[in-house]
Amino acid sequence: MPPDAVDRDLKKGSGELLILSLLEARPRHGYEISKLIESRSKGAVSFRVASLYPLLYRLEGRGLIQGRWVEKAGQRRRRYYRLTSAGKKVLAARRAGWEAFVDAIRKITGDEYA
Amino acid sequence: MPDWSEAIRERLRGLNLDGAREAEIIEELSQHLGDRYAEMVAGGAAEDQAFRSMMDELEESDLLEGLRNARQPAAREPLGLGASGGTGALGGIGHDLKVAVRNIRVNPAFSLTVVLMLALGVAGTTAIFSIFNGLFLRPLPFPAPDRLVDLNEAAPKWNLTQVSVCNPDYVAWTKGNSSFDGMAFFSGGGANLSDSSGLARRIQTAGVTHELLDVLGLKPVLGRNFFPEEDRPGGAKVVLLGYDLWRSLFHGDPNISGRIVKLDEQPYTVIGVLPREAVLPPEAEAWLPLAADPNQGGSYYLDGIGRLKHGVSIGQAKADLMRVHKGMIQSVKAYVNDLTFPTVIPLRDRYLGDFKAVTNVLLGAVGVVLLIACVNIAGLMMVRGEARSREIAIRAAVGASRLRIVRQLLTESLLIAVLGGAVGVLAGKACLAGMVSLMPDDIPRWIGFGWDARFALFSILVTGAAAVIFGLAPALQAAAVDALSCLQEASRSSMSRGKHRILSGLVVCEIALACILLVCSGLLIQAFRKVLHVDPGIRTDHVMTWRLELPETKYPKAEQQLAAYRDLVSRLKALPGVTAVSAANLIPLAGGHEGNFFLAEGAPPLGRNEQNPVILTVAALPGYFETMGMTLLRGRWFTDQDVADHAPQVAIVSETFAKRFWPGQNPVGKRIRYASEHETPWMQVVGLSRDTRHYGLDVEMRPEVFLPFTVSPRIGLALVLRSSVDASGLVAPVRETIRQVDPGLAMFQVRTMTEWLDRSLWTRRACSWLFGAFAAVAILLAVAGIYGVVSYAVSRRTREIGIRIALGARPGDVMLRVLAGGMVLVAIGLAVGLAASMAVASVLESMLFGVSSRNVATYGAVAALVVLVGALANSIPARRAASVDPIRALRFE
Repeated sequence: MPPDAVDRDLKKGSGELLILSLLEARPRHGYEISKLIESRSKGAVSFRVASLYPLLYRLEGRGLIQGRWVEKAGQRRRRYYRLTSAGKKVLAARRAGWEAFVDAIRKITGDEYA
Repeated sequence: MPDWSEAIRERLRGLNLDGAREAEIIEELSQHLGDRYAEMVAGGAAEDQAFRSMMDELEESDLLEGLRNARQPAAREPLGLGASGGTGALGGIGHDLKVAVRNIRVNPAFSLTVVLMLALGVAGTTAIFSIFNGLFLRPLPFPAPDRLVDLNEAAPKWNLTQVSVCNPDYVAWTKGNSSFDGMAFFSGGGANLSDSSGLARRIQTAGVTHELLDVLGLKPVLGRNFFPEEDRPGGAKVVLLGYDLWRSLFHGDPNISGRIVKLDEQPYTVIGVLPREAVLPPEAEAWLPLAADPNQGGSYYLDGIGRLKHGVSIGQAKADLMRVHKGMIQSVKAYVNDLTFPTVIPLRDRYLGDFKAVTNVLLGAVGVVLLIACVNIAGLMMVRGEARSREIAIRAAVGASRLRIVRQLLTESLLIAVLGGAVGVLAGKACLAGMVSLMPDDIPRWIGFGWDARFALFSILVTGAAAVIFGLAPALQAAAVDALSCLQEASRSSMSRGKHRILSGLVVCEIALACILLVCSGLLIQAFRKVLHVDPGIRTDHVMTWRLELPETKYPKAEQQLAAYRDLVSRLKALPGVTAVSAANLIPLAGGHEGNFFLAEGAPPLGRNEQNPVILTVAALPGYFETMGMTLLRGRWFTDQDVADHAPQVAIVSETFAKRFWPGQNPVGKRIRYASEHETPWMQVVGLSRDTRHYGLDVEMRPEVFLPFTVSPRIGLALVLRSSVDASGLVAPVRETIRQVDPGLAMFQVRTMTEWLDRSLWTRRACSWLFGAFAAVAILLAVAGIYGVVSYAVSRRTREIGIRIALGARPGDVMLRVLAGGMVLVAIGLAVGLAASMAVASVLESMLFGVSSRNVATYGAVAALVVLVGALANSIPARRAASVDPIRALRFE
């Protein structure tokens, strides 16, 4: 499936889930997040700057993730985002919802996706 | 590598982000683009291709929209997680403050409304408190003022609480007491002060015992205090000048001691100058030694001040004086009237006690206004809290404790309260200046209403309390928001029942409180109108009055005094525009009193516990009654015959006197005489006068007797002049005429009768007006409250109303429904308010001048007014509800 085939709305709806999932293991900065999404989806999903950062800020504003400038020796400072406890709760709920959703779609669309 | 920051900055321009936030976003986005660019170039892409690709990344249309949400990131940053700002409690407070400032700026209209409402309440409260503070809290300007007490005598059998002190009593008290460090006594007077040029000036003097300066704890600024030997009958004629008199008349001459001044034509040696703090005896501009004869009893004319010993209470001091007084009654019966006994009260109560009730009531009223303002703000805050519940829910969800959220919201409330308090205090200062400028000038001159530490403390307390009152409930309630339901965006369009109930409760409270103030102010205004309709018994228009005091040395005999006054009266009558002139020792409404006991021939005997009433006694020249415009009910007024030599002694009595002694009979032709152990001559009653409201329109009238000047001669009289032209234009010719009679005479207390009347009503008028103003503000605030809550409810229910209308409800029905909902609150508030008013208004009873505290008309009018304005306030949102367009309402969601 070509990259463009992933529907914009679908991306928007699932973006939160993707970001929260990626931050579950450890804090990451924006560029790292965008690289991971692109590489793990093998290019099917990619976020541009203009959609990634607003989404990050929105999640931060809702308290699901928290950004913090971190300086490492010999590098420019970067803003790392980590999952907050509220974020963990929402991630769990979204994950369950997503699985139920995918399951339901699969049941409806049947063999096509099986 | 290209610099992306300008390109990013340009795209952020429309957002008006604050500088720091914008810089952070630019830095973060630039880094991202830089990393990506470097990666593409490293992967073999041409630089310009990589650059174009980066610019594409920025061009996505929803960048702006997406970032709009990032406008106030700090406000949305989770609390309590050390997100930004310092660490520890102080850092947290700094952060709270920063957030609060931002929230206040985000919604300027809301913040301004709240600040102004609070300022209104605080302004009134602080202004009234300043007056209260000045009158009752500020210490008197003497060392250890708490130990100073007023000494006086009461005569319960005559129904008198202050009869003043007589010579033998003060001497015995001073010698016999064991609870005072010192006692001093004084009697106010006046003298014509003249200098070598012969020009006279009337000054207020006081005869004081030599201990007074020590008792007050003061020292002369120049010269010395009186010697004890100067304070004896026949002692040297010496005077201590008051500070202001010394400054104004003697230009602060440092060599004043030893100078001779003439008081009532007598030479007095100046021995020193009093300090500015010597504000008692009131009004005295110079002190003379009292030089009283300790054996001369009978005359009660002295005021006393005592300084209690350390640790002695007023009760103990009173018991001590009582012991001395009783001992004296037994030992020296001849001088002491056993009807009187000593009283000891705090000094301040003596001079300001009359104001206490009024000030307390006003302070209570203005407190209610402040409370209404707070309740109103609490309602507004809750409505706003509702709108912010999502934000708060997120905070709660990310682990901010309730305490933390409450603290944040309270910080906001406090900040608003400080702003409102500051504006209010400044506005209050302006109100105070207005009130003080309207005050009568007979408020003691040691009273000041400026700001002091007590005022600052009060303002801070009021503001802090207000913040807690209007901030805590909404904060607690917001902190209890159900985080989950808010996050699921489920509760967006309906207000929770509980919250609605609280808001409704607040509105009910406001209406009830406003009702109380309206009822009280209605009652006071009714009482004031009733007082204004009281017939003063005189015609106050076109009458000018002033006092003159003849120096005793120059006019030692009554005949000389009478001749001088009659000469002056006849000259004044000749002035153009003057229609009548006369004089009396006391005039109505000017605050004077002279009481005597009389026996009335043929009056029914006194009952066993009945008291012989004190009779107001006025000595008048012929023509006084006509000049004052009094009403003769029977008989005749005084004529020139009555003041002729060897004229038979006559009197005129008032209606109250006649009713008291000869109920149902014609007093003319009956006889009265002074009640005395000695035989006094009978005086025949020749006239019956309608009562004059001597003590004020709202004060009960005592029985009154008028005597001709010859029966009761006076050295000082109040002159009364009726004119056909504006009386104030006559002051100059009158002064000139007096100079022609005797250049040593000074006119003082120059006022028209209308001015006397206005002054006598000042407290009542001010109180009624202030109450009216408070009530008006209260009802306005309450109306704003009703309007706000009902509008808000309607706006939250737009969808529901839309559905109703879509399903066929008629707009009229919808309107009625909303109106009814709002009016239920008004009705409950009204019912609670009227019931509470009955209890509260009974406190005012003493100020109501016979208007019942349950006056039906007042309650009815208040009910009608509240229903009317309530309906008005409700009708606007109700009409808005009726005009809801169902399609738009549904789309709105």
